[in-house]
Amino acid sequence: MYHHRVALLLCAAALLAGVSARAGQIGAATAGRQALLGIWVPDAAPRALLTSTGKTPPLTREASKLYTERRQRLGKGDASFDPTSWCAGPGMPRILTMPYPLEIRADADRIAFIHGWYRWFRIVDLGAGTVDPPLPLTMGFPVGRWEGSTLVIRTAGLIDTTVMDASGLPHSEQLTLIERLRVLPDGRLEDRITINDPENYTGTWDTTLTFHRDASAAVTDDVCPDRMAGGEPAERAAVGRRTASGTPAVSARTPAVAANAVAPAPRLTGVWEPKTFGIMVPNAPLSVAGQEIVTRNAAAMQAGRIMQTAWVSCRPGAVSTMTMPREKIVILESAGEVTMLFEMPRMVRRVRMNASHPQTLEPGYVGDSVGRWEGNTLVVDTLGFNGYAELDARGQPTSPRLHTVERFTPSADRGSIDIATTIDDPEYYSQPFTIQRSWKKSPARHPFEYDCMENPRQEDFENAYYVRERYRPVCMRVEGEGMAPSKMVCRL
Amino acid sequence: MRSGVRTRAVLPWILATCVTAVVAAHHSTSEFDYTQQVTIKGTVKEVQWTNPHSYIQLMVDGDGGKRIQWSVEIGSPSLNINMGWRKSSVKVGDVVTMNLAPARSGKPYGTLRVLTFANGQKLEGVAARVGGGQRGAAPAPSAPAAPSARKEP
Repeated sequence: MYHHRVALLLCAAALLAGVSARAGQIGAATAGRQALLGIWVPDAAPRALLTSTGKTPPLTREASKLYTERRQRLGKGDASFDPTSWCAGPGMPRILTMPYPLEIRADADRIAFIHGWYRWFRIVDLGAGTVDPPLPLTMGFPVGRWEGSTLVIRTAGLIDTTVMDASGLPHSEQLTLIERLRVLPDGRLEDRITINDPENYTGTWDTTLTFHRDASAAVTDDVCPDRMAGGEPAERAAVGRRTASGTPAVSARTPAVAANAVAPAPRLTGVWEPKTFGIMVPNAPLSVAGQEIVTRNAAAMQAGRIMQTAWVSCRPGAVSTMTMPREKIVILESAGEVTMLFEMPRMVRRVRMNASHPQTLEPGYVGDSVGRWEGNTLVVDTLGFNGYAELDARGQPTSPRLHTVERFTPSADRGSIDIATTIDDPEYYSQPFTIQRSWKKSPARHPFEYDCMENPRQEDFENAYYVRERYRPVCMRVEGEGMAPSKMVCRL
Repeated sequence: MRSGVRTRAVLPWILATCVTAVVAAHHSTSEFDYTQQVTIKGTVKEVQWTNPHSYIQLMVDGDGGKRIQWSVEIGSPSLNINMGWRKSSVKVGDVVTMNLAPARSGKPYGTLRVLTFANGQKLEGVAARVGGGQRGAAPAPSAPAAPSARKEP
């Protein structure tokens, strides 16, 4: 009897110890997650990655030859080996080396890195364990887990047409990255990245990037083609606080602490996809001016010309994500902000909760969105558009006078969301009108990605009709064979 | 070798230029003539798994032994994956037959309806979906499926 009691007591103690350890792990992970949230600015944004001990990465002979050649080209001003030079996806880890702030948002299932360069984001899945990439992507398929308060991310499935850094450090599709992110005692964020690519490196090596807080920094809506059209480089030389096309105004942003406070009852959080592909907005009450534009567009299309809208020219407005929903949407909710990350068109929309529009707004593609809950419906009011967005495939126009009110109503089983978007734009429509769209819960753990600027082809432009002059591409050259060019890219 | 050109009125023109306008995910499809069917056979020179559109560059024997490079838009990465394609589905050097809607320009360029391998296996391209869906909304792709065994039109 005595032995039984001792055994029982030992079992209970072991159980309590286990529960306590588990609770400790969860507590550390929660603390680690909270510490990561918010905006980070690169300390150095290195042009050329070195190992954590300051050495040149251990390139194979072939890779070293390629790297030397690229550096020579760079010395002559030719950065065309780097897709960012024509606004295509930087990939990983290249995007972490760019002199732009990044923002970390999170929920229980995923961590989102929202980058300050051309609307890129990556979603780290915390629940997958393993992943079998169907196709390599620039950001790959990152899967994360917590080791105490350190976030460990393994990324595989990376496309080989990107480079590791601005100097052209190469990698193959065999590349895997293991990142270990933690907040250092001095408050900086450390990302120690272990790189394994046997095709290009003689051994595994690691590099360390660090980031700091800057209360004045903001991750704004950066639109690379606009910057290039304005004569700016695709990538700026040093960390800055604003981008030329960035919106909204810093004053309109929710303070980071408020934005990241846990939402009391998340209702929209998750991965969604459209129930249908909406490509037309029928029966819109076009004004005379609006009808004129649509008639002109139709005539061009009937003549066999390719209509270049904001969507086609890779700078769509937020209204297009609602009228022409495509592919997956990740929603993250906190008390201060509902963040919507759209796969196609790639876009980051932020809804500041229980806030007001600022008195002065810098017009932009995404506008300024404020939201509130009315019962079970999230009501989003958006102003401050720049007028460079079309509602549908016919090129129905919008103007800076556009005002939208979206009503997101999740179903009782949380399996779908109905969205009613009311469009009010007296410039081109005689009265406000409402369109209906629906999203359903997606089984996907990761969104795919849409790198709109990746492969602009000659065929896309040689018979183009530009709805607005702003949509005309810049700095194109043909890369191909004689009369059968297969690629067109931009050169700095 | 351009092995055959058959023409028939598949769809009203307006349908091809308007309703199906961003089925290909990015730009208007008005550059293609969906009333035409062109079948070409050749050797795959390059597969571009790229956005906004994916392409296959196909080397086709032309008149007088001249080889012609065709550019064939097959869809977009996310769309093709949803239609059952994988990166390894088509490889450089594969000999394939492609049924496509040609460009109105008359250049060796088109959008893929169906690709047929030497063993008879088939893969559908984005143009196979033209004409589907209701006005104003095209059906979202379903989960990844096995390569289609649809009969070539």
